[in-house]
Amino acid sequence: MISLRNVTKTYPNGVHALRGVELEVAKGEFTFLVGPSGAGKSTLLRLLFREEVATSGVVMVNGHDVGRIPLRRIPHLRRQIGVVFQDFRLLPQRTVFDNIAFALRVIEASPHDIHKRVEKMLELVGLSDRQRALPAQLSGGEQQRVTLARAMVSRPLVLLADEPTGNLDPANAQEIMRILLEFNRQGTTVIMATHAAQLVDRARQRVVEMEDGAIRRDELSAAYHEGVVR
Amino acid sequence: MRMRTWAFCLNEANLNLLRNPVLAIASITTTAVSLLVLGVFALLSLNINTITTSLENQVAVRAFFNQKTSTVQEALELKTVRSWRDVRQASVITKAQALQQLKKEFGSQASVLDSLGTANPLEDSLTVTATTPRAVAAIAKQLNAMPGVVRVSYQSAVVTRLFDLVDGVRIAGLVLGALLLLGALLIIHNAIRLGIVSRRREIGIMRLVGATESLVHWPFILEGLILGLIGSVFASGICYWLYVAAYQGAAHSLPFLPMVAPNPTARDVSLMLIVLGVLLGAIGFRLSVRRLARV
Repeated sequence: MISLRNVTKTYPNGVHALRGVELEVAKGEFTFLVGPSGAGKSTLLRLLFREEVATSGVVMVNGHDVGRIPLRRIPHLRRQIGVVFQDFRLLPQRTVFDNIAFALRVIEASPHDIHKRVEKMLELVGLSDRQRALPAQLSGGEQQRVTLARAMVSRPLVLLADEPTGNLDPANAQEIMRILLEFNRQGTTVIMATHAAQLVDRARQRVVEMEDGAIRRDELSAAYHEGVVR
Repeated sequence: MRMRTWAFCLNEANLNLLRNPVLAIASITTTAVSLLVLGVFALLSLNINTITTSLENQVAVRAFFNQKTSTVQEALELKTVRSWRDVRQASVITKAQALQQLKKEFGSQASVLDSLGTANPLEDSLTVTATTPRAVAAIAKQLNAMPGVVRVSYQSAVVTRLFDLVDGVRIAGLVLGALLLLGALLIIHNAIRLGIVSRRREIGIMRLVGATESLVHWPFILEGLILGLIGSVFASGICYWLYVAAYQGAAHSLPFLPMVAPNPTARDVSLMLIVLGVLLGAIGFRLSVRRLARV
């Protein structure tokens, strides 16, 4: 599903964000990306949905050579990838329903389809009763659930989450984690960059630890810290 | 794109206009004013053109014969002149007729001519009118070359001056219109740029969830077109209405003035203004594409 081969990324300001990264993620896998800030987690995710282009190496997502994909094909790549950020990125003037529907409107889904799928997503993230609310009227946890719904409503194959619980209290973080695992259980490949050690420890999924632009550790059903066995 | 996607784009464009109403109004007003100026100057220069042409048509060339030319020879020459191309009308005016005419023109002061007694210092002349204004100068030249003709005169100065005036009005209109159009263009461009900046978040999310670039562009294209269209509809309406009013006013108080009828001329000019306005909106967007790519 996802593979990075000898990928390096050097930003124009000379920062080496990634140095020879090798990574394979199978279809349906749940992968935590951990490591200190500046380790290259976000850069790695941004390469996957072609927000950035690797300086060298090959990035493959669902059969697309992401770095060499023609510009006009990028939208089609992105329709296969859902993305969630720490800062939610909701449209403040639109209701919860419209924020989620926005993702379907721009890919020209039918109104009937939009209605059906948005309703279903609202149910899945537990916000059916808040669909007429504006983002500002929601708590942080609820806002993040809306962005999750928006990312997943077009049924992407891959979900990328860049510190999705970074702004949330433990209870809300727990709820987001539950939803992410639920999406994964339904077949979505999930890669989640995080600093939330507790969540990682409890989920016991694959952990890829990065440090200074390289992969330091890659363990299945692991904990946040190396060697910790619970 | 599907119908509902157009509706989506139109809705996004509208949102943007409503979010920056001051700038939208500024864009519409400058577009309207600049197009109106352009339209007024266009109609003005079209009218001066018509007036000039009609005056030119009325310009007669007169060739004066010397005193010794015989009536027979004058008649012969009249026949020759009538055979020329571009001659609409030609006739001989004897010096007696000319004096009669002069007395008529002097009216109540005709008595000053009595001092001439029986002498008539005037000459026989040949009066020629041309079929096209452009032929006047050529006819004058040919007449000048004829035997017995001492001099040729026609009112070239008036015509030349009017032509200069037409050119002046046309250039002034174009320069003024072009400057105002440039201003309108920059303001539309700025409105779109501001829209892009204030919609950074939407654009980012659209791209994130896989919107095509054309879908990202269309709300802004429509915004430009709507701004240009509204401005130009105002300009067009006012221009047409002003012209009809001026035309009716002139028909009443200056009936001798050969003004161009509002239809189809003013109507066509008004339609042209709308086309120009829409074009302005499109160019205004085109200038913003690079900014859009950098969001």
